[in-house]
Amino acid sequence: MLRLTELSAGYGAFTAVHGLSLAVAPASVFALVGANGAGKSSTIMAIAGHVTVQGGQVELDGQDITALPVARRVSRGIALVPEGRRLFGDLSVRDNLMIGGYARPRRDEAENRARVIEMFPRLGERLDQAAGTLSGGEQQMLAIGRALMARPRLLMVDEVSLGLMPAAIDVCYAAIRRLKEAGVSVLLVEQSTARALEIADRVCVLESGRAVWQGSAEEARKDPAMIEAYMGLAKV
Amino acid sequence: MLAFELIVQGLIQGSIYALIAVGLTLVYGLLRILHIAHAALFTLGGYFGVLVTNATGSFGLAIVVAMVAVGGLGMLVYRFCYEPILARPPHVALIASIGLFIALEEVFRLVFGPYGISYTAPPLTATVVVASMNLKQAEIMVMAGVIVLIGGLAVLTRRTRVGIAWRATVTDPAMAQSFGVDVIKVRYLNFFIGSALAAAAGVMVALLNNLVEPTMGSVPSYKALAIIVLGGLGDVRGTLIAALALGVVESFGTIYLGTILDRDAIAFVFLIVVLMIRPQGLFGKT
Repeated sequence: MLRLTELSAGYGAFTAVHGLSLAVAPASVFALVGANGAGKSSTIMAIAGHVTVQGGQVELDGQDITALPVARRVSRGIALVPEGRRLFGDLSVRDNLMIGGYARPRRDEAENRARVIEMFPRLGERLDQAAGTLSGGEQQMLAIGRALMARPRLLMVDEVSLGLMPAAIDVCYAAIRRLKEAGVSVLLVEQSTARALEIADRVCVLESGRAVWQGSAEEARKDPAMIEAYMGLAKV
Repeated sequence: MLAFELIVQGLIQGSIYALIAVGLTLVYGLLRILHIAHAALFTLGGYFGVLVTNATGSFGLAIVVAMVAVGGLGMLVYRFCYEPILARPPHVALIASIGLFIALEEVFRLVFGPYGISYTAPPLTATVVVASMNLKQAEIMVMAGVIVLIGGLAVLTRRTRVGIAWRATVTDPAMAQSFGVDVIKVRYLNFFIGSALAAAAGVMVALLNNLVEPTMGSVPSYKALAIIVLGGLGDVRGTLIAALALGVVESFGTIYLGTILDRDAIAFVFLIVVLMIRPQGLFGKT
């Protein structure tokens, strides 16, 4: 589905990601974990085309998309739920969803919106409310819903649980599970490694922009060094 | 009754300010450029209004031609004046804009002459009585025209895909682009609509004064800048309210303070006082 080969990315002269290689399988959840500043967000922003790729390659379904502009990546099936959600706060929920599906044919809009509302019924009750006035959990649901309007095959979610109440996190994680079951690949960036391992199939631990551990979620739970160093879940 | 008449006259003047200032705030909201040359497009709209009306006898056609032609020129201004320097600090675009404004005023002087031009047969000069007030048809047309144009803008930005994409782009261009919104097209649309509104204002001022002259954009340019600051930079709703409020204050001030200050001085005193109390503008957040 998605393959990174020796990907380096950054901002100007600064390199945030150093030679990262990983592969996300179809209909799977891949978790990028690590401390703040480890390069997780920069990695997915580089895949989405928002951060400059300084070296290496990004492939989607075997095709090199490293140099594609952002909008073309969306039409290839990549959607992003960015850190901090970055909703269009003055626009209504309905209009945010419409923008999410802007690259899709207009005739698909109602059907896609119905699909999102089926996943997040709360959004259906607030369609005409300004996005900026929603609660944090509802905003996160809208950010995911907005990305789903593009009918992505690869959904990249940055810090889905950050600042949310546990109940809202549960709703978002349940949605990610359903997406995986529906055949969507999910690249998940999380600081809360314990939560990421609840749904991840594979895990990559980043430190200072470099992959220091990579394997299945099951292996991650069994690797005591990894657990003690990164997860804060020793003696689980 | 006098107060009511002053309010109506103030709203007519404020409506024209609104048309000019909305275009300016649209550009600022999207690109963070203070587009001073916008006032020259307002003047050009006035010239188109007079020239096309005199040539064809159709005032309606003159408005359409002025809006389309000046809207197109606005896109050219973006393409050749601002787009090449977008990556530069904002003061670079500001200086370029001031230079363009001065240059266009001189072009108007060279092409149309220094003394201005007038309608050979001024349209809409008849007077009608509305609520016991004598109003010129032109004044009624100005108010109705502004309501239609601003209403149309509201419909465009709230009910159409392209308008909603435009608002999304103003909020977060990078995110809007990441969903497939063509940010470049949005910028051109922004300049077209803003410039077309300024042209409509120019036609209306030419109608009310029966005169267009090369420097008629100077004072409105200062006022429009102050209005968009007053309304909260980039805030269309705030700009509309600030423009109408300024028109009404000017109208009352001319009657009650006219022996001390002239109309423009009253307007700027009002703007200075308001900005001293609320430097973030009437609707801006602290």
